[in-house]
Amino acid sequence: MPASPSSSGPLARATGRFLLNRAALLGVALLLPLLAAVLTYPLWMPYRPNDIDLLAMNAAPSAAHWFGTDGVGRDVLARTLEGGRISLLVAAASVVLSTAIGFLVGAISAFGGRFADALAMRSVDLAMTLPPVIFLLVLASIVGSGIWSTVVVIALLSWPVLSRMIRARLLELREREFVMASRGMGAGIGHLLFRHGLPNSIDILVVYATLQVANAILLEAGLSFLGLGVPPPAASWGNMLNAARSTAVLEQYPWQWLFPGGALVLAVLAINFIGDGLRDAFDPRADLN
Amino acid sequence: MLRYCLHRLLVGLAMLLALTVLIFTLLQLTPGDPIDAYIDPNVAMTKEAMDALRARLGLDQPLPVQYLAWLSQAAQGNLGHSLQRFNETVSGLILSRIGPTLLLMGAGLSIAIVIGIASGILSAVRRNTVPDYSLSVLALLGISSPAFLTALLGLYVFSVRLKWTPSGGMLTPATDFSVGDLLHHLILPATVLSIGHAALIMRYMRASMLEVLNQDYVRTARAKGVKEFWVVTKHALRNALLPVVTLIGSTIGLAVGGAIFVESVFNWPGMGLLLISAVETRDYPVIMGATLVIGACVIVVNILTDLAYAVIDPRIKVA
Amino acid sequence: MNLKTTFSALALSAALLGALPLASGNGNALAQGGTISGGFDVGPGGFQGNFNPLAATSGFTWLVTYFEPLVIYDDKLAKIVGALADTYEVSADQKTYTFKLAETKWHDGQPFTAKDVRFTLELARNEKAGSVFAARLGVVQSVEAPDDRTVVITLSAPSPSMLDTLTKVMMLPEHALAAIPAEQIAKHAWWSSSPIGTGPFKFTKYVADQYVELAANPDYRGGKPAADKLINRYFADPAAAIAALRSGEIQFTYVDSNDVSTFSSDSNFKVIEGDSYVVNYVGFNQEVPLWQDLRIRQAFMYAINRDAIIQSLYGGAAKPANCVYVADQLVPQGIESYGYDPEKAKQLLAEAGWNKINGDKPITILTYYTSPLATNVLAAMQAMLAQVGINIVPRAVDTPTYNSIVYQQSGNAGDYPLIYAGLQNGPDASNINIGLNEKQIPPAGANILRIRMAAVTDALDAALAETDAARSDARYQDVCKATNAELPWATMWVANRYGVASAKLKDFVWTPAPAGGPYQAHVEKWSIAE
Repeated sequence: MPASPSSSGPLARATGRFLLNRAALLGVALLLPLLAAVLTYPLWMPYRPNDIDLLAMNAAPSAAHWFGTDGVGRDVLARTLEGGRISLLVAAASVVLSTAIGFLVGAISAFGGRFADALAMRSVDLAMTLPPVIFLLVLASIVGSGIWSTVVVIALLSWPVLSRMIRARLLELREREFVMASRGMGAGIGHLLFRHGLPNSIDILVVYATLQVANAILLEAGLSFLGLGVPPPAASWGNMLNAARSTAVLEQYPWQWLFPGGALVLAVLAINFIGDGLRDAFDPRADLN
Repeated sequence: MLRYCLHRLLVGLAMLLALTVLIFTLLQLTPGDPIDAYIDPNVAMTKEAMDALRARLGLDQPLPVQYLAWLSQAAQGNLGHSLQRFNETVSGLILSRIGPTLLLMGAGLSIAIVIGIASGILSAVRRNTVPDYSLSVLALLGISSPAFLTALLGLYVFSVRLKWTPSGGMLTPATDFSVGDLLHHLILPATVLSIGHAALIMRYMRASMLEVLNQDYVRTARAKGVKEFWVVTKHALRNALLPVVTLIGSTIGLAVGGAIFVESVFNWPGMGLLLISAVETRDYPVIMGATLVIGACVIVVNILTDLAYAVIDPRIKVA
Repeated sequence: MNLKTTFSALALSAALLGALPLASGNGNALAQGGTISGGFDVGPGGFQGNFNPLAATSGFTWLVTYFEPLVIYDDKLAKIVGALADTYEVSADQKTYTFKLAETKWHDGQPFTAKDVRFTLELARNEKAGSVFAARLGVVQSVEAPDDRTVVITLSAPSPSMLDTLTKVMMLPEHALAAIPAEQIAKHAWWSSSPIGTGPFKFTKYVADQYVELAANPDYRGGKPAADKLINRYFADPAAAIAALRSGEIQFTYVDSNDVSTFSSDSNFKVIEGDSYVVNYVGFNQEVPLWQDLRIRQAFMYAINRDAIIQSLYGGAAKPANCVYVADQLVPQGIESYGYDPEKAKQLLAEAGWNKINGDKPITILTYYTSPLATNVLAAMQAMLAQVGINIVPRAVDTPTYNSIVYQQSGNAGDYPLIYAGLQNGPDASNINIGLNEKQIPPAGANILRIRMAAVTDALDAALAETDAARSDARYQDVCKATNAELPWATMWVANRYGVASAKLKDFVWTPAPAGGPYQAHVEKWSIAE
């Protein structure tokens, strides 16, 4: 255990390490303006995302429409920003939900004794055995398309992987002396979960959560590709990208998918940079150099 | 060990049963049935005629009766007939799709595993160098692009514009089978498929390798003057592979289900395409049969994954 | 290590890519008459994976390449002409149809006779056989075969759409099918393994979900086909078919209208345009209290700028529909043309008290159209209706979900207060009856909006009962007038549909007929240039 001589708390040290990570800072520098634009756009955009203009459809980027217009003359910039709101909302909400489920199930499985382990792992196995294609298609057609049903579908699809990884990590931890000692002293499941489980799986959680934000945004796009997901005319990066299905759009009106696609990739990249930075920063065993 | 495997298999069987009940129930909650899927709304049909078709398929029976009828047949190995296809047994349909799917997924995953693990190790060992940065950024780009968009772009560039690869399917119609023809059709979808997986494996490998390289026993090995190459391959790699094995295990299990996006863009005749059309046409027997088969594969692979743990990390007891 | 693997992977792929085009390029050289491949079952009107013509709700473009009906539409869909029947006669009371059959053979060499016709029609009337024609052939009283070349069909009542129905009933060989019990016939292996017809091509094989392959029938009575093989490739969606067309793997496919621009300037392709015979409409569910007032329905017509939508979204390739028909002979002079007039729409809504009835509460508009074009059309409609104070929210669902909602018996009218849909309005004008006549309210028919408008029902009944073909157009003009005045639907337009064929194809005939036809495509004349 590398004991730090510093008198500051672990959070301050983590912050310090994070601020030294250039990639993470680059991520923040990319994400913050994007977030600011997405959140404030109604204040400064002259166009609303659903304003149509049949006289200016499929127009290339110009001074009037910086990102051009789409097939019914809607401003692509306004829709990209509105799409960002929806996509990020869907991603964030589903990640919170799936991370919570995934961690709890995985940790209870590792610490909760044989019966809890069996029960938790069987439910993980059941969820992982569910063929995702069937689960996704069936679930989506039951709950119908919409923002919150997309959140639920994505969350329900993604938690089991995390549970297994948490369990794998914590099983290893369970065999360590200090946890054995704590169990021997009769520590409760809550203590084990949050004092030993959480700090020791934080790197997995962070790596998972960042990747899952990416996955959730991509899954939303995929759901839209299959005609599920966030329904038009509401904008999301996914349903905007779906326009590229048409060869005419792919070829002749590239701005209709390049800009939302670029925003999507940029956002996911930035979030991943930040996630990596957090991972290094929070890691209690991180190299102090 | 043998008892453990038997036990797991029994639990797996019980789970399969639970799975089929779950999917059967979910299917009943899905709006529309096979007959609804059959009717083109532009060319209308009377409800009476639709009900007559329904009765012919036994869809007017009570649900538990339908489920038990299916289960008793399935227990005898008969998965029934597709409701929407011509005299095709569900087992025949699934068998004919698993091959293409395993081929596609096998090719894609092999590329991904080799590239992912190698670049993950390289990145971790050469941490904070130019190769690490470039590989990390590439991996991030890989997982940041929606699979269907990559597939569409790949199709457009290599097939429509350059005409290097066929635009879809697995074999050229009306020609004799040849391995070259098959590989020609396989190369683009497998490559597109491998991008996301390779990136994911690379990231897990890098994270887990860094973790292990910081552990005491690795430091001890280093301190003892063991060469860095041996430190990495002999001491660190085994433990670092643990989370990656989990990841690959779960991917392989699910691989049998097919890759919906790649299969649908490239018209690859695999399980993904079969399932999309089965759900779209509410072909219940096909969905139930596929659930059973994919479920069984996932269960077996999960058991194997757990066994692989025990082999890689002797500290974990298989009990 | 990583670079090395990347390099070997690249080298391997380069080797594969370099070597294989050569391998695949020499396949066609041997075939003398050539192979024609197409996505003949792509898009609306296609029915991939259906081989049983008795169960065909669509997909006739392909089925008539190896099966044939007694009578068939010409390629303009203007009139019905003989196919397997050389000639036919309809008695003065419209109750007896006499067909003189052509002299021809099945693909296995057995002669085609009147007995086959009788067998086929009995099968098609049998619900147990899973026939989708059972209800439509319900008026058939008897089918007789006085001799091998003559068939007499007697009806219990005149049925103006009888010939239209008969164009879709493919003749089947009694000697091959008689032994199969009716209950098993619908999904029998015969259909997809060894079906025989009388058409210009013979069925050779089906590779599941990939393609169907046919070979020329050298004994075809219309002459030996020019092509040796005909292949119908299956595609999960039109975009995949377009990619195959552009890469030269197939020579024909249906194309969504917003993808047509990719081909229109390319001399390697011919764009084929045709009437869809499907009238698109905004349907008002009469079981919700919102639409009682005619003025509200009129407001929809005035608020939606149909000309602008047609010009910009359809690229001009649609005809505005002011009633359920757009064909010149069916549209009378002097009907209201509902030009775009948002002020008038607002005024009508104010007079009807729309603010009290609904105001700006969101109203779901249900649709099964999920194409990018339909999505854009609905977005445009939503914006236009919002201008006059009607707040619609599109909800696109898949076909089974749509059918299960709209065919449900009762209690769910609130699930679909509005629909955006289409219904076949030609080439036989009586097709529209099933969606508008009060007698067609489910379960009897497909009047899914539960429209009970006496004027519309009376006009339709009169048109259906008209036995004098010369006066039939005038009767359908009355239907047009009634639907124009009463607005059971806010009729929008009849759009064109497109197919794109390679310029290499010669004498190729295709038209975007509803359900894929059938129509005289003269498949035996199709040929492909090297």
